Amino acid sequence: MKANTKSTVIWIQGITCNGNSHSFLNYSNMALFAASFEMLYHPLLFTAHTLESLLDKPEAFDFLIVEGAFTKEARYLQRFGRSFPEILEPLANKARFIVCVGSCASFGGMFRLRDPRRISGALFNAKEKGGYWDEKSNVVNIPGCPAHPRWIAETMMALRERKTVLLDEFLRPKEIFAYLAHHGCLRNEYFEWKVDCKQLGEKEGCMFYEHGCLGPNTHANCNKILWNDISSKTRAGSPCLGCTEFDFPRRALYETHKNMSLPQTPYGIGKRAYYTLAGVAKSFKIERLEKKLIDEDH
Amino acid sequence: MKITKEIIERIEGEAALEVEWEDEKIAFAKLKFFNYRGIEEILRKRPLYDALAFTPRVCGICSHSHALACVRAIESCFEHAQETITLNKKARDIREIALNAEKIHNHIKWYFFSVLPELEKIDNPSYRGDAFKKPRWFLAQNAVTETLKMGAIFSGQWPHGSFVAPGGVTCDPVSLDVLNARGILEKVIAFCEETLLGFSLEEFTGFDSAVQVMASPSALSWGIDTMIRHAFDRLGRSHDRFLALGDSFLYEGALKSAKTTVLPADIKYVSESLAHTFFEDPTQGYTYSKTATYKKSFFEVGPLARMMVAKEGLIRDFHRRFKDAALTRVMARVVECAHLLVQTKRLLENLDIREASLIPPKRNVHELSAEGIGVVEAPRGSLIHAISVNHGVIERYDIITPTVWNLGNGERDNLSVVQKALVGLDSLTKADFIVKSFDVCSVCTTQ
Repeated sequence: MKANTKSTVIWIQGITCNGNSHSFLNYSNMALFAASFEMLYHPLLFTAHTLESLLDKPEAFDFLIVEGAFTKEARYLQRFGRSFPEILEPLANKARFIVCVGSCASFGGMFRLRDPRRISGALFNAKEKGGYWDEKSNVVNIPGCPAHPRWIAETMMALRERKTVLLDEFLRPKEIFAYLAHHGCLRNEYFEWKVDCKQLGEKEGCMFYEHGCLGPNTHANCNKILWNDISSKTRAGSPCLGCTEFDFPRRALYETHKNMSLPQTPYGIGKRAYYTLAGVAKSFKIERLEKKLIDEDH
Repeated sequence: MKITKEIIERIEGEAALEVEWEDEKIAFAKLKFFNYRGIEEILRKRPLYDALAFTPRVCGICSHSHALACVRAIESCFEHAQETITLNKKARDIREIALNAEKIHNHIKWYFFSVLPELEKIDNPSYRGDAFKKPRWFLAQNAVTETLKMGAIFSGQWPHGSFVAPGGVTCDPVSLDVLNARGILEKVIAFCEETLLGFSLEEFTGFDSAVQVMASPSALSWGIDTMIRHAFDRLGRSHDRFLALGDSFLYEGALKSAKTTVLPADIKYVSESLAHTFFEDPTQGYTYSKTATYKKSFFEVGPLARMMVAKEGLIRDFHRRFKDAALTRVMARVVECAHLLVQTKRLLENLDIREASLIPPKRNVHELSAEGIGVVEAPRGSLIHAISVNHGVIERYDIITPTVWNLGNGERDNLSVVQKALVGLDSLTKADFIVKSFDVCSVCTTQ
């Protein structure tokens, strides 16, 4: 690819809320993105081409972005009088890369719950391999509900520049999804010392024990790069919902799922290691962590 | 009689418009929405608080509104189970700031990403759009991003933040966070003053004549000029009946208006119908959009309705001149945006962070059995969530979105809001713009 040639992009939608489109429109370096990419079609924006003209004469292009869950059932999804396969397949055959943005396109997401056998992600149905397609070699998944605008734009830029994009077992870029939402959480110290958040709406305490926070089990760099360049769910006092994982949304999201009154262990930490350390930490009462962060008496 | 079928695009999805023509004028129209996702069904039998995470995902552009309608419905369930919910002023103000951020961003996005390019296209049919190309598009995109960044200081993220819980908000900002929010909002205000309005907010919000708005070159005055050139000051008139069921800083209580007469409204007169839907009849139905009526009559909701019941001076003047034409409808969104910026600045300047953010209900949610309703004035109008809960498990979840009010289908002798606005038009280009003047959200219409 010549350096001065823009990569061409077609953005289409499966079963969706448009959340990934709107998340992407929050990208703070959009002029930089636009210098490298030409958006041939986006369903929400006034772009140079119509979807019908692109479908009538499909030509090779660089990036097919798919937002929303996949289905072959016309009764669940039709656009412009066409079923989803009639839109997807002519384009998928001509695209260099297929980037699934959001958990719906990656795993089926929330809308999969309506009919889990017939609604799925591109290559996964929740955690099972085999979604809409059984195999396809040029798919990258960027889950999240929604996906962060930087995840979308920067992955596309890396692919365009032929940089190595290492993917994990769910085809997620490792430079984003090797991190856990827990990394960079401002409540980490409360997690270390097992100090529970007594109630929502306060700066103090960890939401892992009672309020269902899935930060230590969720692959995403939310608390590293922050949302809207400024905050995150946990920074706004709300538990991580695990939205980048194949099982999003779990049942009872605001409650911690427990076994024998113990929460699940953080990702990749064995039960013996975690519960031993947790037991020791919990046996100490750290006075500073029991107090308000900002103590008005001093 | 001739029947034509068109696709209306770029309305947060798309819809099919079926038009019946008589003497080359639209005699009747049906607006069809196809992509139903079944959120109300998905919520059935799930734990009540899951709705706080699920309902924002009804819509990528008004997720905070859905979160707020949901938490109000849950709080209403507690109230109906004899538990008083106390919301501190801090919690109420933060909820309003986050909601305002969503509305301000929506109106900027809609005006620059939808209204202006659609008008350019009507002016010049070979127009190919400005997205990702023209400096003005990037300026608007930046203003949108900054608006939501300001809101995210309180809501954690946009879209799909979950910043509310029964009894308040989950965030607990420090005073410096609030100062940061004020600084970011000033950037948005500067964009709106320089590019959108051509006036300072103080001047603009004091206007009471359409003539004043035209005195400065701006994106707004260009839009007004262009709309008048294409007769949108006369086209797109509907029933001239308005409804605002949710609260607002602009007026007190739930209100309705017929023309300029404003009267109290009560949510108990709202009814929802499945007429013409695939739900009612899989073979004869033609849309997934339900319809909502007030005392069996169709009412327009949204910024124009809010401005009309609030008796806002400038919009009253537009209405006096142009009635509820497409021009007045578009104008109302811009005028509301200006008022929202002023109000949000005021809220940030006076936000008292010393109160508790949240006072949780005492009753365990697993013991809660009741019904409740939550209403919010979302960007596009009155949004209603109604819940029936049994021992903390959702029995029934019903959502009436603003676009259902405006874009549902009525009968030949009782036309819906959009149908009434379309009848009599002589071209599909005009019909396309009239439909879009309602700021259609396809995904909300068929959750």
